Amino acid sequence: MAADSEPESEVFEITDFTTASEWERFISRVEEVLNDWKLIGVSSGKPLEKGVYTTETWEEKSDEISFADFRFSVTHHYLVQESNEKDSKEELVEDALPVAMQDLLCMNNDFPPRAHCLVRWYGLREFVVIAPAANNDAVLSESKCNLLLSSVSIALGNTGCQVPLFVQIHHKWRRMYVGECQGPGVRTDFEMVHLRKVASQYTHVSGLLDIFKSKIGFPLTPLPPINISIRLTYVLQDWQQYFWPQQPPDIDALVGGEVGGLEFGKLPFGACEDPISELQLATTWPHLTEGIIVDNDVYSDLDPMQAPQWSVRVRKADNPQCLLSDFVTEFFKLCRRKESTDEILGKSAFEEEGKEVADISHALSKLTEPAPVPIHKLSVTNMVHTAKKKIRKHRGVDESPLKNEVLNTILLYLFPDAADKSADGSEARTSTSTGSLPPPDSEDYNLYIQFKSAPLDSLTYKLALCLCMINFYHGGVKGVAHLWQEFVLEMRYRWENNFFIPGLANGAPDLRCCLLHQKLQMLNCCIERKKARDEGKKSNSFDRSSSDTGTPDLLGRDYHKESDKEKGEVGKSWESWSDSEEEFFECLSDTEELKGNGQENVKKGVAKEGSKETSALKPEGRLHQHGNLTLLHPGEPLYIPITQEPAPMTEDLLEEQSEVLAKLGTSAEGAHLRARMQSACLLSDMESFKAANPGCCLEDFVRWYSPRDYIEEETVDEKGNVVIQGELSARMKIPSNMWVEAWETAKAIPARRQRRLFDDTREAEKVLHYLAVQKPADLARHLLSCVLHAAVLKVKEEESLEDITSVKKIIKQIIIHASKGLRFPNPEDKKLEEIIAHILSVEATIAQARSLKAKFGIDKCDQEEERKDLENFVTSLLEQPEVSVIGAGRGPAGTIIHRLFVNAQKVAMMLPLDEELKRSDSSDEKRLNSGSVADFPSPAGHEVILRTIIPRPAPYSKPLPQRMYSVLTKEDFRLAGAFSLDTTFF
Amino acid sequence: MDEDILTTLKILIIGESGVGKSSLLLRFTDDTFDPELAATIGVDFKVKTISVDGNKAKLAIWDTAGQERFRTLTPSYYRGAQGVILVYDVTRRDTFAKLDNWLTELETYCTRNDIVKMLVGNKIDKENREVDRNEGLKFARKHSMLFIEASAKTCDGVQCAFEELVEKIIQTPGLWESESQNRGVKLSNHEEGYRGGCGGYCSML
Ligand SMILES: Nc1nc2c(ncn2[C@@H]2O[C@H](COP(=O)(O)OP(=O)(O)O)[C@@H](O)[C@H]2O)c(=O)[nH]1
Ligand SMILES: [Mg+2]
Repeated sequence: MAADSEPESEVFEITDFTTASEWERFISRVEEVLNDWKLIGVSSGKPLEKGVYTTETWEEKSDEISFADFRFSVTHHYLVQESNEKDSKEELVEDALPVAMQDLLCMNNDFPPRAHCLVRWYGLREFVVIAPAANNDAVLSESKCNLLLSSVSIALGNTGCQVPLFVQIHHKWRRMYVGECQGPGVRTDFEMVHLRKVASQYTHVSGLLDIFKSKIGFPLTPLPPINISIRLTYVLQDWQQYFWPQQPPDIDALVGGEVGGLEFGKLPFGACEDPISELQLATTWPHLTEGIIVDNDVYSDLDPMQAPQWSVRVRKADNPQCLLSDFVTEFFKLCRRKESTDEILGKSAFEEEGKEVADISHALSKLTEPAPVPIHKLSVTNMVHTAKKKIRKHRGVDESPLKNEVLNTILLYLFPDAADKSADGSEARTSTSTGSLPPPDSEDYNLYIQFKSAPLDSLTYKLALCLCMINFYHGGVKGVAHLWQEFVLEMRYRWENNFFIPGLANGAPDLRCCLLHQKLQMLNCCIERKKARDEGKKSNSFDRSSSDTGTPDLLGRDYHKESDKEKGEVGKSWESWSDSEEEFFECLSDTEELKGNGQENVKKGVAKEGSKETSALKPEGRLHQHGNLTLLHPGEPLYIPITQEPAPMTEDLLEEQSEVLAKLGTSAEGAHLRARMQSACLLSDMESFKAANPGCCLEDFVRWYSPRDYIEEETVDEKGNVVIQGELSARMKIPSNMWVEAWETAKAIPARRQRRLFDDTREAEKVLHYLAVQKPADLARHLLSCVLHAAVLKVKEEESLEDITSVKKIIKQIIIHASKGLRFPNPEDKKLEEIIAHILSVEATIAQARSLKAKFGIDKCDQEEERKDLENFVTSLLEQPEVSVIGAGRGPAGTIIHRLFVNAQKVAMMLPLDEELKRSDSSDEKRLNSGSVADFPSPAGHEVILRTIIPRPAPYSKPLPQRMYSVLTKEDFRLAGAFSLDTTFF
Repeated sequence: MDEDILTTLKILIIGESGVGKSSLLLRFTDDTFDPELAATIGVDFKVKTISVDGNKAKLAIWDTAGQERFRTLTPSYYRGAQGVILVYDVTRRDTFAKLDNWLTELETYCTRNDIVKMLVGNKIDKENREVDRNEGLKFARKHSMLFIEASAKTCDGVQCAFEELVEKIIQTPGLWESESQNRGVKLSNHEEGYRGGCGGYCSML
């Protein structure tokens, strides 16, 4: 037993009992603590209302004191009642009994569902406990117990404290307490007996009454009435009619099934074992008097079916295995793996790819090849093939962790466009929507913003779910590495062949999503630019005769190189954000315009910066006219030029960029350099503007670009006419300010022949490289937010079927929690674990609700009202520690509980089950039924409270409260007595 | 690095070009007014340490250009900012009318929804006022912003604007703490509180 297995327990040893100083010091420390806590003086209060021990809150305060070198903790436990504060003063009656003594008799809070054991035993609302501070320590010998008890007694007497003070003796697990409460001329002694083996007289009420009477040593006849409360508790663990476990989903069926890959988007849910392990039925007789019932060693009136009060509590399985939580937890574990994809899949499956990654010029030469881009047909088999081949090169054929058909299904799910025979990339961009998705802009849809994950119809989100499932069912980290490798190959394939990646929103990376999602969007941006360029080039090459060697871009490039040299040092920094030498923007496929351009470019190059000559040039790259504005000098309409699109950015790039900019410092030079570095866009726009508006000046540009820097004023000229005169703002007129400088440097070049501000080739290769070097652990970290997002949606969906208020609240809190935790770049593991733990608890609660609903046959109940009541009952069981059964054994819930017990009993006795026990068993019938088997097993707990008021120690003493609580379980027996006596004449 | 700096705050200044954003910032950081200040290209950056209620905070302030074409750059600077100063020119109604656009942009790109916003009506030293103080006040109230009128030229309200903004940020829980300081919300576990002493069914055991 526990007692024997505690060899290390330190036992309360005091070297010298007669050292008064140690003892006195101890007592004065106790008094000090009581003083500090303001427990001195009259304690008063009204009798407590029903149920307050559960509805109000309990608090405790602790301090530590020592006796010699033995440490004790002193703890004050008390019920905090909001409403009672005001009333307490007017109640001051002299000589009133301490409130604790009144509590001994109060019947409003017997058998509280949750309370300190001393509360359950003695009904106290407030008390102080002195216990050994260390868990292993114990006060064992009788003399020491007595010493402590007398210390307590002295401290109470000295201070006039009316709060009961207990000392915990023996080993802690025995929960043995002795104590005392003092009032004016009165005292209550708290005593306790704790036994393993029980004598038969303790097992029934009449035997306990005998003990009680002998304890209080009642000197008079006739006896005043003794009040009796009884509670019998029955435990049910065998749920015959209800089958568990729930089968985990069959993954092979999923793959082979006609729903196909779509099922990969679903998360599993539910407990794998019954999350409700036990039902405890408490049958209570709250208020009996001696003589009303018979309960002795030969006969008992205590039939649980007849008990006036029934209450039920359920015990939940400690850590039930739940599917969703397992899924998420396993995925989270991936974050701690160290291996790279290569290490997992065998030696450098990417080696070959790696070469390509490094050799950008190779990719570039591909780009500039005039030959039309070969149109590949996208198909899954094609995709699988590419990767398979690569794996095969390095390892045995059948070694790949994912089976072909599994991989096919997943890839089809991720890339539904591959199934289209048309293989038209532009169609692939529209994300495939499945019917069950919440509408965009709904709260659920926008959850990705809170989680910093990705929209739930996005490729990223789907990928996260697939990886999660693969991790669980298909070879764990190996499967993950394999799918990821396939995925990366597919990304490269799409980049090289100008196929858009499906399932991503158009446009620049959405910074509200996770970084991986941004990277994929970035890749799509690159594909878009490249595709546009390639298509432009294609139509060019068709239009141009093959003999026409002087292609415009070549000429343009030469021209730029020359001008670079001219610009010299200063010129260098103009292009710092666009340093790809060879690539030009060229997104237009306007062949009409392109045709004539070659020659004009040559002219322009020769013409240097002479603005008069350029004004004669043909305008290029016009977008549209800018309102009614005309150029200041030639009076031509002012055109807004086609400009280069700004470079799309992912958050890591942005971070990098702003870091670079910040590092330049706050000095004037720093600021100047910073402006320089960012002026590429300004310069490019100026060049486009010049090209579109031959003969324009800076004023014209400013009127379009920064209109508030062109100040117009009405003046009256010599002839008295009102004319509007305009000029640049003061800041634009500052000599050699950067705008003027840039304007002077800018050549008239339409956007499509300018150096690309955004180098899609380089950015795409960067993304592809980034993807290729992600380890499974990195991947898990990237995608965990998506998985958590999905898990919360799943839990939400399941909750909506059950409608559990407490779960709703927790889900809300999880979302708040997640939005705070996941917004930062690298969320702490601890926070993630917390979120996962809460998802787990929600899943368990929902599973518990389902289990209970099944057990109470709510689905089978066809009477609307009864069904409602049962549903409420089940909900209360989940949310409250104990729920009373309306109508006790005769109500609808009571009937079901009764049947559950009867069936369990029959199974225990190997009898056939009684499916439809009739609602109102007449007692005759019952006797027949239970001829051989009792409806209920023998009670697991047998609690009796005996109470009375009698004068002690002498018949002429003051009548005072006396109480004895007893509890008998299968393991032990306990008597807790509180016996009061009049101390006035002693 | 200063030991006693409580935190570094990222602050963003936005608004139409020419309303005096750079001038306000220069007034705040260097206490000067430079009529020859060049028009901002892209974004600019300044640092200043200030003390509010005895707490020292280092401000990293990003000044933006405001022209339409430069706006494509700025969304990135909204990321992670704790405070934003939205400036208009009280002598140019059109700069006031554009405030709605700026707020929309802010909402779109800002990564946190508890960012502290301050509205500043600048150039109150000038004669030809077009936007009444009350209008600014009304706008700020409607969008739960701090509000002040200021002049970068005469120094009116500038210091105050930045100080109030910082104070407000520091008062907003969870906005400025670095991640390690951030204790995070405590989820109330519904199981909690059920386990006092030897709660539950203990007395039966
Ligand atoms: N009178 C006056 N002029 C100002 C004030 N603030 C800025 N300015 C002027 O307004 C013009 C634009 O200022 P600037 O700070 O560059 O504006 P930004 O484009 O918003 O950064 C400059 O000519 C400044 O001198 C002010 O408070 N009063
Ligand atoms: Mg500026």
